[in-house]
Amino acid sequence: MIPEDIRVIFKLIKTNPVSMAGLVIVAAFLVVGLLAPFITPYPQDAWGDVYHLDQRYQPPSWAHPFGTDEMGRDMFSRVILGARFSLIIAVGVVGLALIIGIPIGLIAGYLGGKIGTTLMRITDMFLAFPPLLLAIALAATIGRGLTNTIIALAISWWPWYTRLIYVQVNSIKTLPYVDAARIVGVHPLAIMFRHILPNALTPVTVQAALDMGSAILEAAGLSFLGVGVTPPTPEWGLLVTEGWSSINIAWWISLFPGLAILITVLGFNLLADAVREAGDPRLRRILIVGRKL
Amino acid sequence: MPVSREYIVKRLILLVVVVFGVLIITFIITRVIPAHPELLWAGAHPTEEQIEKAREQLHLNDPIYIQLLYYLRDFLVGDWGVSWRTRQPVLSDILSALPATLELVTTAFIIAIALGIPLGALAALKRNTWVDHVIRIVSVLGASVPVFWLALIFQLVFSSWLGILPGAKRVDEFIVLETGFKPITGFILLDSLLEGNFAVFVNALHHIILPAIVLAFYPFGLSARMTRAIMTEVLNELYTRSALAWGLPRRVVIYKYALKNTLAPVIASLGLSFGYTIIGAFMVELIFVWPGIGLYAAMALLSYDYPAIIGSIVLVAIFYTVINMIVDIIHAIIDPRVKL
Repeated sequence: MIPEDIRVIFKLIKTNPVSMAGLVIVAAFLVVGLLAPFITPYPQDAWGDVYHLDQRYQPPSWAHPFGTDEMGRDMFSRVILGARFSLIIAVGVVGLALIIGIPIGLIAGYLGGKIGTTLMRITDMFLAFPPLLLAIALAATIGRGLTNTIIALAISWWPWYTRLIYVQVNSIKTLPYVDAARIVGVHPLAIMFRHILPNALTPVTVQAALDMGSAILEAAGLSFLGVGVTPPTPEWGLLVTEGWSSINIAWWISLFPGLAILITVLGFNLLADAVREAGDPRLRRILIVGRKL
Repeated sequence: MPVSREYIVKRLILLVVVVFGVLIITFIITRVIPAHPELLWAGAHPTEEQIEKAREQLHLNDPIYIQLLYYLRDFLVGDWGVSWRTRQPVLSDILSALPATLELVTTAFIIAIALGIPLGALAALKRNTWVDHVIRIVSVLGASVPVFWLALIFQLVFSSWLGILPGAKRVDEFIVLETGFKPITGFILLDSLLEGNFAVFVNALHHIILPAIVLAFYPFGLSARMTRAIMTEVLNELYTRSALAWGLPRRVVIYKYALKNTLAPVIASLGLSFGYTIIGAFMVELIFVWPGIGLYAAMALLSYDYPAIIGSIVLVAIFYTVINMIVDIIHAIIDPRVKL
């Protein structure tokens, strides 16, 4: 992607209030996620290792905007700190997926031939699983926890990036400068990583950034199925699950963490929508010319 | 005949290859990655004896490629292990749970398509107006909402608080007993219609509404967004513009030319969303106590019933590949260009 594209994307986002809302939500999530430990009103409640027996199941109030849970912990603090964990999971999953996916796609694309085909067939095998299913199988095998959740999701995630890079590399490797590098005897690894990769990286990184919303959503699903992070980690999906058993007497415990997931993922998806529209050349032509039927 | 036999045979061969790949990957996950696979397969609190038995059943004393061969053979002959929770063979457990899930997912897809395509088309026609914005937000919401949370909230509001719809099970037991209803295929809605048992049909319909609507959110959003994007594109194609220039009524252009061309890609995208929906069913079934594969798998996960977990996962993965193949073939029938 070139700067012109990014300008078009921003132009699109600015003119569309819905896309703008997405940008604001994502920015707010990043800020809260980074500052979370410093802005929770009750830090001890947020980390989860306390009891307030006199404060159990308090409905939302000024002191506890999101109410309290079965152990009397302030849900607002838990949800705020949850943003930090969602951010860790999101960055961890797409980061690890990129680390696995990029080299495979790069090698498959550059070498081509039998090795390339084999690598891409293996990649496709992973895509034969519905989303989350492979992660569930892995998480059930390697056990629960924050790190294992990230690993399980990343293992089911990398094939998408391998494919993206593969397509990019395939079109770049025929450019004259790559031939030139080969002729003067640059090592194939250097050609791949120093000369091709930087030019193939932008689409996949943009995609990865926008995928962070889905990573948060899927991690929450793992938590709900009992193969995600472990208590007392205030991960949003786990918070919803913890409120399930008492939902008829204290609906707020499940409601607010779920809303946090919904709004955050919505922000990422609205932004992704805007970028996708900008990236579609035919649609972009229509938008730039402004022609309407 | 728009689709050749050759194409279908090619797709079937690909199907076999992919299923084989799925089995290899599950073999690696379940037998190669864990340091002690027998501990996973021997139940939650295994005795020495059970561990030893599991070692033998998994052929762990043999080299890895022999283990793989045994694994593939067991899969083919339908020996998928025994569930620790139900004490039944995993495969028969799963197969008896399959109709409930299919009924739920099919209903969800019918709701999703019936609303998604018209609303997506409307959004494309009213591009950048408030109608478009609202439809866009609702459809993106479908892809953003944690399905288990939505299920909990719907159950709480519509079942516990308002009391307008049942929030658990497929059908009320007493109606089944009263009317002497005997399921034939396991699809309660279908069976009750076939038997002319309207009391059971209405009751089952009431039960399916909440879980089906919750599950429909994601495919609805996808089909609406897909329809909107492709419709926008088609409306700007030369052929639609020239049709309008020739003086054909707008209505005819939209329904006869534009909408028809959105159909193939929308169906293709729904095939992909099937995978997502069936995983959603894992969670929705657990919440609505819907006795399908999802509930079975979710209970297995919560009780560390490893053979049942892996069995459900393999079956769902294979089912997903088959559905994708069918969707590809339908796609090729509708749109001959995709036949590659």
